[in-house]
Amino acid sequence: MQWCTSGCHLSKLSQSQLHLKANQTICWILKSLVVSYVHILHTNMVDRLSLKLLSSGPAPVARAVTLPGEPTQTSTLALEKGAAALQSFKPVNRMHAHLCAFHFYAYDMGRQVEAHHYCTHYNEEMRQCAIFDTPDADARLIGIEYIISERLFKTLPDEEKKFWHSHDYEVMGGILFLPGVPKVAERAALSEVAKTYGKVFHFWQVDKGDSLPLGLPQLMMSFTSDGQLNPALAADVERRFNVSFKDNAEYRKNLTGPDEGVHPNANSWRSGKGLEPASREVDCE
Amino acid sequence: MASSDKHPCGVPAPSTPEDVPGAPKTVTSHILEQSAGLIQSLTPIKQFNQHVCTWAIFSHDMKRKIETHHYAARLNEDVLQCLVYDSDETDARLIGVEYIVSERLFLALPDEEKKLWHSHLYEIKEGLWVNPGVPEVMQKQELKKLAKTYGKFWCTWQFDRGDRLPLGPPALMMSPQEHPLGQIPEEMIKKRDAKYGLSTSELKASRTDIEGPTVLHPLADYWKHTGKGWAVDLKEVEFKANGSQP
Repeated sequence: MQWCTSGCHLSKLSQSQLHLKANQTICWILKSLVVSYVHILHTNMVDRLSLKLLSSGPAPVARAVTLPGEPTQTSTLALEKGAAALQSFKPVNRMHAHLCAFHFYAYDMGRQVEAHHYCTHYNEEMRQCAIFDTPDADARLIGIEYIISERLFKTLPDEEKKFWHSHDYEVMGGILFLPGVPKVAERAALSEVAKTYGKVFHFWQVDKGDSLPLGLPQLMMSFTSDGQLNPALAADVERRFNVSFKDNAEYRKNLTGPDEGVHPNANSWRSGKGLEPASREVDCE
Repeated sequence: MASSDKHPCGVPAPSTPEDVPGAPKTVTSHILEQSAGLIQSLTPIKQFNQHVCTWAIFSHDMKRKIETHHYAARLNEDVLQCLVYDSDETDARLIGVEYIVSERLFLALPDEEKKLWHSHLYEIKEGLWVNPGVPEVMQKQELKKLAKTYGKFWCTWQFDRGDRLPLGPPALMMSPQEHPLGQIPEEMIKKRDAKYGLSTSELKASRTDIEGPTVLHPLADYWKHTGKGWAVDLKEVEFKANGSQP
């Protein structure tokens, strides 16, 4: 089924046709989700806990370095739990979706990192994501990504556009996925993402073996074609999450990237220029 | 573009959540999101179990102070990681990340690294740092530990300079200190106190017994001794294209 979420198609329909289309779309999604979910539960005899296990798996390659420090004391845990019960966590509770993808350093494609995004859909055109190195309870918070629509991207100053990357290949190449989500719903969600641009900084260089977040914020980029993602890294993720990037790509081949094509200022590394952070002392006032 | 640029988009007034451009979420988006949330475990997010409200100051321009809402997850007895927002509401903007380490781990950092970190003793003793909703008596034990820690905070969205979207490289933040440049304006404190029904001055009075690190390290809060903050630039370098290195 061809997804039609762009305004240019919908603008040709009347109000009542729009309502009908929206209802049909909603019904279709709900039905697909229910069918898929029930299918998973029933035919694979997998309960929700097992789905969680499917999405963790054994530790990834990069987790060779141990975090320094003592294990959390039971008394600390108890105190924190008690206090947490009295507080509200509205901003964090808005993180609804888990996306797994890959980033590389904006000056070195050889340094590639598995990135687990936990995203808030702030409004229809902007998402803000916390990035972790694994999907587990002891995951390290390694970065932040902002994701914006093509329309918003075009409003950015040209100097700023250089820091952003497109998502079309990651989605259509199948290497970006939503662990545990049925293919049909995943594709629906990613049809939007394929048209967006992202800006991501990492603060903890886990691939370098840093046991703590050292140094400066690192601008990261995303892949734009086949042959860039390290095959061993890809295979490791595919195995741990029981996915096939090739199958994903095949299933998503009807999706399209930005309506006006990928902006020439995005993915700035393609011009041969990387972006590396440097700090300098300035007067503090 | 540097983190210390004044106004990348030439808009001088602080931006609010209403200024974030973008259409409201569609019903389809809501449904897809809620559904994914039902199926996925979102484990790392569930670890954020502490909400702290305090202030931070831009290291490259210490006249700029922002109220921050940290949501902290403890990795172990010595390390916490925080998502930092500009408010505690549902339309809060994610504005950065802070890492908090114990004194012991801080002392083991290379000296160049220490210069990027700040101490927490002052803001805790002054009553600026609070856990909204948690009675002081319940929080005291944790505050005594946190008063000895150091933090490193990168701000990715300089909303207070008018940015409607996150622009430029992240900026290094510092913490309130006793020094004149490290003070938080009274009106900011009053506003925060009114919102939560708190009295920062009463909290200060109840925290006189809190002690800091063995020695407040001279390289932390770098600006206090040097008058210098840090700007981050993203410099153009030759891109290393090798993509097949394991």
